[in-house]
Amino acid sequence: MQIIRTEKLEKIYNDNGVPVHALKGIDLEIAKGDFMVIAGPSGSGKTTLLNLMGALDKPTEGNIFIENEDISTKSKKELSEFRLKNLGFVFQAYNLIPVLTALENIEFSMMLLGINEEERQDKALALMKELEIDELANKRPNEMSGGQQQRVAVTRAIVNNPSVVLADEPTANLDSETGAKLLDLMQKMNKEKNITFIFSSHDSQVIERAKRLLILKDGKIVEEK
Amino acid sequence: MKLLLKLAWRNLWRNKRRSLITLAAIAFATFAAVGMRGIQKGVYAINIENAVNMFSGYLQIQNAEYNANPSLRKSFKVDEKIITILESNENILSFSERLYADGLISFKDNSQGAAILAVDPVAEKTVTNLATKIYEGKFLSPDPTHEIVLGYKLLEKLNAEIGDEIVVLTQGFDGSLGNLKFKIIGTSKLGMQEFDGMSAFIGLKPAQELTAMYGRIHAVAVKIDGLNNINKVKESLTESIGNENLAVLSWDEVMPDFKQSIELDNISGIFMLMFLIIIVAFGILNTVLMSVTERFNEFGVTLSIGMPQMKLVKLIFIETIALTIVGLLIGNIIGWFTNYYFHLNPIEFSTGEYAAVIEEYGWLPTMPSSIEPMIFINTSFMILFASFLSCIYPAWKVFKLEPLKGIRYT
Amino acid sequence: MLLTLAWRNIWRNKRRSLIVMISIVVGVMMVFFTNGFMNGMLFQMLKNQISSSVSHILIHKKGFNDNKVIQSYIPDPELVEGAIKEQTGIKNYSKKLISFGLLSSASNSSGVFLNGVNPIEEKDVTKIKESIIEGTYLTENKRDLVIGKKLAEKLEVGIGDKVVAMANTPDGSIGSEMFRIVGIYKTFSSEFDKIYIYANKQITQEMLEVENKEYEFSIICEDYQQADIIKEQIKNQLPDEYEVLSYVDLLPMIIFQIDMSKQWMWILNIIVGVALIFGIINTMLMSVYERIQEIGVLMSIGMKNGKIISMITLEAFILGVTGTIGGIIFSLLVMWPFYNSGINLAVFSDGLNSFGIGAVIYPVLNINDFAATLIILPIVSVLAALYPAYKAIKLEPIYAVRYV
Repeated sequence: MQIIRTEKLEKIYNDNGVPVHALKGIDLEIAKGDFMVIAGPSGSGKTTLLNLMGALDKPTEGNIFIENEDISTKSKKELSEFRLKNLGFVFQAYNLIPVLTALENIEFSMMLLGINEEERQDKALALMKELEIDELANKRPNEMSGGQQQRVAVTRAIVNNPSVVLADEPTANLDSETGAKLLDLMQKMNKEKNITFIFSSHDSQVIERAKRLLILKDGKIVEEK
Repeated sequence: MKLLLKLAWRNLWRNKRRSLITLAAIAFATFAAVGMRGIQKGVYAINIENAVNMFSGYLQIQNAEYNANPSLRKSFKVDEKIITILESNENILSFSERLYADGLISFKDNSQGAAILAVDPVAEKTVTNLATKIYEGKFLSPDPTHEIVLGYKLLEKLNAEIGDEIVVLTQGFDGSLGNLKFKIIGTSKLGMQEFDGMSAFIGLKPAQELTAMYGRIHAVAVKIDGLNNINKVKESLTESIGNENLAVLSWDEVMPDFKQSIELDNISGIFMLMFLIIIVAFGILNTVLMSVTERFNEFGVTLSIGMPQMKLVKLIFIETIALTIVGLLIGNIIGWFTNYYFHLNPIEFSTGEYAAVIEEYGWLPTMPSSIEPMIFINTSFMILFASFLSCIYPAWKVFKLEPLKGIRYT
Repeated sequence: MLLTLAWRNIWRNKRRSLIVMISIVVGVMMVFFTNGFMNGMLFQMLKNQISSSVSHILIHKKGFNDNKVIQSYIPDPELVEGAIKEQTGIKNYSKKLISFGLLSSASNSSGVFLNGVNPIEEKDVTKIKESIIEGTYLTENKRDLVIGKKLAEKLEVGIGDKVVAMANTPDGSIGSEMFRIVGIYKTFSSEFDKIYIYANKQITQEMLEVENKEYEFSIICEDYQQADIIKEQIKNQLPDEYEVLSYVDLLPMIIFQIDMSKQWMWILNIIVGVALIFGIINTMLMSVYERIQEIGVLMSIGMKNGKIISMITLEAFILGVTGTIGGIIFSLLVMWPFYNSGINLAVFSDGLNSFGIGAVIYPVLNINDFAATLIILPIVSVLAALYPAYKAIKLEPIYAVRYV
C-alpha cells in the first residue's frame, strides 16, 4: 500500500538573491511499512526532500500526496493539524521541550489532540515500558543523556500512531553505540507496528539498516537500492 | 489551557534570575506609581476636605449669576420653601446663610481693602470650622451686633489691636455708601496669607444693615454627609428648589481655581506615571523578546510536531501576564503598606520654607497618603495593559515563525 | 582596543541594544519634559510678576512693602532719583503712588490697589500698556483710569463709564475722586486684574492730599540677573530709612521653588534611573550568558578579570551614554516647537491663572539639568552592569567553554 507519492517535485530556494535549485524533479512512491533512508552528500537536497514530505515546507513545483491527500494545497493551519495527526518527527537536536518531563513530552502531542489526561498517561507509560525507557518518565531533558533524549523523541513521534515518522539525522549527535540502540528501537517499531520510517542521513550505520536506500545528488535521485 | 499554564509556569522558572529581575522592575514600577498616586490623592482629599470645611461648604445655593460675577446685587431672599427643602433632605446635616461684600476698613489714619464675609455665627459653626480658626481673641458671639473678626494679617496691616474700634465702609444695595463701627474681638488664621490679609468676618444682621440688604443674602452654605453624595444632593436640591434664578453649586464650582490646580497637578502626575510605565514596558519588551528568540529552536520543533501557532502566541502572553500579575501583587502589597503608613503618619512640613510655599498656595503643609482602592486598581490596569502591549511584538515574531526557520535559528 | 570590543559587542544584537537605548531615551525625555515645563511655569510666574508689578528692584520708605499706608511716602525722592541716575546697569525706572482703596460703580464696589503713575515712565517699566484689550492707555486727560478685565466685570462697567475711587488720606479722612474708564487690561492673573488700577499720578496725589509725594521707585535693570548686585549698590547710597528690594527678596516663594526644582531634577533622574536599572541588568545578563563561551576563551587566553569587568561595564556605559545623548537630542527636537509656541493648557487656564502663570507654557531647560541627567544615567548603567560582570568572571574558563 502506497503512503507517500511525489510528482515532479521541484524546490528552488532564494538564498540572498541567488536561486538555489535544491530538488530537480523527484518522482517517488513510498509504501506503508517502509524503512527508507535518503542519503547523499551535504547539499544534495536530502533534508529538503524530507522537509517537503514532512509538510514543513512547500514545493516550488509538483505535488506531494500523503495518504492520498495533496498537502501542497493546504493552508498553514491545516498543515499544522495534518502533521499533528499523521506525522511523527525526530530531529537532530532540540527535540524535547526543556521544561517538560519525558512523560509530559510524550503526552504533549496527545494533549494537542485533546485526548484526556488518564488515557494519554496510560498510553504514554505503556509505550515507554514497551521501549524500556519508563525509568526516564519523570526526568527533564537536561537530566538525560543525548541518546535517552532521542529515544524519548522517537517515543513521542510514534505515540499518536502516525502514518509516517520522519527522522532528520537522528544519530548525528550520538556515538555509534547509542546510535545503534536508537536504530534498534526504530527497527523494532517498524517491524512490530508496521510504522513507516523515512530517514535523511549519511551515517553508515543508518544506511546499513535501510530496507530501501535512495541516494540523492544535486537534487536528483542518482541511485536506488 | 492547563497545558499552557504549566508550560508558562515552568518557562518562567527556567531563567529564574531574569524572571526575578523583571518581576522586581514591575514591582518597583507598581510601588512607585501607587506611592506617588497615593500621596497625590491623599493630598487632594485632605485639602478638599479642609477647604470645604473651612469655608466653602460642600454645596452652596446662590443667585444663578453670582458665581460668574460676584457682585453685591446678585443676591436672593431665602424663603420658607427653601428652608423646608433643606431641613427635610436627609443627606443635609446643616446649612448657614452668608453675605459677601468688599469694603474699606479704617483704623485711625490707616485704611485697608477688605473682603467682608458676613455669617450667622450659630449656624456657621454647624457647617464649617471657621470658628476654630481663631488665632487670637474669640469668634463672633451669637449676637454679634458690633463685633468683627479680622484676618491676623489684616490686623497687622491696620496696626490695630484686639479691642480697637474700626470703621467699615462699603457700598450698599442701593448704590449708596454705608459705614458702621465695629469692635475687633479676635483674629483668624486660615492659612492662605493673601486671604488672612484681607478677610473680615462680621454678623449677618449688621452686614445686611450696612449694605441695605434687608433679608437678602448671597449664599447658603450646605454641609452634607460626605463628598461622595455631592452630585446626588445637588441634583435633588436643584430639582426641588425649581427656581432658575437660583443655582446649587458644588465646592469645585465655588472654587474653580482650587479645583483646577488639583486637576493640573493630577494631570502632571498621570504623565509621570505614564512615563514610568513606558520605561518599564521597554524593559519587559526586551526580556520577552530575548526569552522568545532564545527558544526559537524549541518553538520550531513544537510547531513541526503540530502545535498550533496561536497556542504558542498565547503561551507568550500568559508568561508575561503571569509575571506582571505577580509583580503587581508584590508592588501593590508593599505600596499598600507604605501608603497606609503615610496615611496614618502624613509627611509634615511644619516649618521651613517649603511649608511656607505650600501655604502660600492655600494648601495644607501636610502630605498624607491614600489607600483608596481605585489607586491600586487603576495603576494595576495601566501596568497590565503596558505589559500586554510589550508582548505584541515578540508574539508577532512567534506568530510569523516558520517551523523550519525555528529549527535552524542560530 | 577594549572600547572597540565593547562597541562591536553592543551592535552584535542590534535590536536588543536599541530597545535598551530607547528605554533610556524615554526616561531622559520624561525627565526633560517634566522639568522643562516645571521650569517653564516657574520662570513664567517670575516673568509675569516682574512685568506686572514687582519689576527688578523696588525702593520704598522702610516698612512700606509690608504695609502700604499712605503715610509711608519716600522722604526725599530727589536723593533716590540721584542715586538711581548714578547707578550703572539700569535700563528704566518709574516713580508712583500706591494706595489701598475702594472703587465703586453704580452697581458694586471692590477693594483695589490704586496706582498713580506717570504714563510715559510706567510703560517702560511694567506691561500694563501692552496688556490693554479694550480702549486705550492713560492719556493726558486727568480723570483717565485703566482697570482690569475681571474688575470691570465685577463692577459691571465698560469704557467711558464713571467710577468713584476712595482711599484714606494721611490725616485719616477719606479722599475720593471720580474717574472715567478709558482702558481695560488683562494679564496672566485674574487676581491681579481684579485689584490693580492705574490713574495719572497727579490726580491721585491731589485726591489723597499727598501732592508731590512718591511712594515707590520701580527699576528695570539691563540684566535681571544683576538685580541683586545693583540693589546692594543702591542700598549703600541711601540712608537706612529706605528699603531697597530686588525681585529675589520680593518673590521668595518663586525663587525658592526655582531652587527646589534644581534639586528635584536630581530626584527625578534617580527615580528614572531605578526604573531603567532593571532593564539594563537583564539585558547585560543576557548578553553575558550568550557569550559565556567566548568569555571563557578570552579568560583561557589570559585576559584578566579586571579587563573583563571593564569590557562589560564599558558596554553598559556606552549604552547609557548613547541613550542619554539620544534622549537629550530627542527631547530637544520634540520640545523645539513648544519653545516658540508654548503648550496651551487652556483647559486648566483658570487654575493656572490663580497660580500667576498664563495658559500657555514655554519650556525652559538649564545647563544644570543636562548635567544631572548626563551624570546619573550613565552611572546607573555602569552600576547595572556590575552584577552581570561579576557573574562573567565567576565562570571557570573550562566550564564556560563547555557551556552550551
